[in-house]
Amino acid sequence: MAALEAIGLRKRFGTLQAANDVTLSVEPGEIRGLIGPNGAGKTTLVNLVTGVYAPDSGEVKLAGQSITGLAMHEIARRGLVRSFQVTRLFGNQTVRENLLTAFHARRPANVDGEAAAERMIRLTTLGPLADTPAKKLSGGQRALLQMGCGFMVPGSCYVLDEPFAGINPVIKETILEMIVEVNRAQGAAFLVVSHEMAIIRQLCPQVTVMMEGKVAAQGTLDEVARLPAVVAGYLGKALE
Amino acid sequence: MSASFRRSAVAIGFAALLLALVPLFTGSFVLHVLTIALYYVILAASWNLLAGYTGQFSLAHHAFAAIGAYTSGLMGYHLKISPWIGIPCGVMLAGVCGLILGRLVLKMRAIYLAIATWAFAETFHIYLTADYKFTRGELGLSVKSLYGTTDPMPYYFTFLALTVLVLLGLRLLIDSPLGFFMRAIKDDELRAKSLGIDTTKVKIAVFAISSAIAGLAGGFFGHYIALLTPQMIDFSEMAKIVVMVVIGGFGTFLGPIVGAAPVQVVMTYLQSYGEWNLAVFALIVIVLMRFSMEGVASLFTPLWRRVWNWK
Repeated sequence: MAALEAIGLRKRFGTLQAANDVTLSVEPGEIRGLIGPNGAGKTTLVNLVTGVYAPDSGEVKLAGQSITGLAMHEIARRGLVRSFQVTRLFGNQTVRENLLTAFHARRPANVDGEAAAERMIRLTTLGPLADTPAKKLSGGQRALLQMGCGFMVPGSCYVLDEPFAGINPVIKETILEMIVEVNRAQGAAFLVVSHEMAIIRQLCPQVTVMMEGKVAAQGTLDEVARLPAVVAGYLGKALE
Repeated sequence: MSASFRRSAVAIGFAALLLALVPLFTGSFVLHVLTIALYYVILAASWNLLAGYTGQFSLAHHAFAAIGAYTSGLMGYHLKISPWIGIPCGVMLAGVCGLILGRLVLKMRAIYLAIATWAFAETFHIYLTADYKFTRGELGLSVKSLYGTTDPMPYYFTFLALTVLVLLGLRLLIDSPLGFFMRAIKDDELRAKSLGIDTTKVKIAVFAISSAIAGLAGGFFGHYIALLTPQMIDFSEMAKIVVMVVIGGFGTFLGPIVGAAPVQVVMTYLQSYGEWNLAVFALIVIVLMRFSMEGVASLFTPLWRRVWNWK
């Protein structure tokens, strides 16, 4: 059974068909890459599976159970956790409070929140900033914290919308390690939207290419990168 | 008990102790002014929970105080029911009305929420005036005083105790998971939902809780001043609560406490200037805002830190 399944999702905004019959499935323990040009519908897909929008038609399943049309918080509580492309945090809360809010939101039984937050502060290397309001963090630190919040309570599937965009190489590496670690330790599935081909190659055995609201190709990065349509519509030239 | 609760409890207890000594040195007029000031501390603190912490800028808070006051007042007036039953009924009715209003304005934000809640308050205001056969309208509803005396002393201690209880309760609430969710909703509601927070439930709960607290304050207030008029839902009452919280420190625990009491005391003494008192008051607000946008409470923060680092 797939960890996350999108079946024939459609979504129209005015005259724009942002998602046009998108079918995609991520297996348990898999880290799947989702690539494609800007405006291809990647973020729309993320918003459809996480409940920001309800699809016009089609179905979303989490571990075999339909979550189509459920409220966002219901979907999150069932273990589908997301990050946002433009980092979203609670600006007036400190780093520690952000982590605790994420913890309380899906509070697992018999786990000490304070201790879990302390561990995550170490893991995200944000120790010296633990009591700083999130609005004072740099872009990279914000990205780290957002990722940390997502990992506070184990989920079954993580959907990360451009977690590496505009972030310095050191923090990029830390985020990469966090993803690998959570994937290894919890067996969680990931769907990672990114334009960073080097990271995608390292992280994702399989990638899905979206173009113009549709799934254009699927396979290993090197396989899809050879397809003429993908080269023409997205990469511009073959990957070196 | 968290450290934050213990510290607040010690500070509140200390302040309450000082206030408990005031009757030794002053006359009944000062006690009256302080009693009313404590009433506003409760209103300001509970409105701050809704507006300051959760970001729901409601302009109906004075109406919930009036619901509490009129429920108990009308029950006593028409049915001769004791205030000790009437006040809890008022608290419940205010809470339920808060719940319903919270449900109605759920999808509204910022100015739309402010207008909708203000319209609710005005509707209630008009009802109290119009249905004068039942509510006595502008003539005023005479309410039995709680202790059968007009001496402010027992009411002063009643309000002091109520204020302490409400503030401790609010502190517990703010430090609880619900408190985290409230602040999360104020900062970024979409983010809160994405983490699994049922923002609908949180917002409605906070509406109900803060309204019930306003109803509690209103109920006791009615049985102190002994004459209720629709003036209680005049917009100037709401404006006063907003000004108190903003001067004190919007969204801070200390804000409504250090804002409400001084504002009420100053306003009482400015009354001798008649219509000018609002102008003088506006001037004070402008000057204070010029020096500290975050309110008077922020001036206390360094002191607060120093006190607790002594240990």
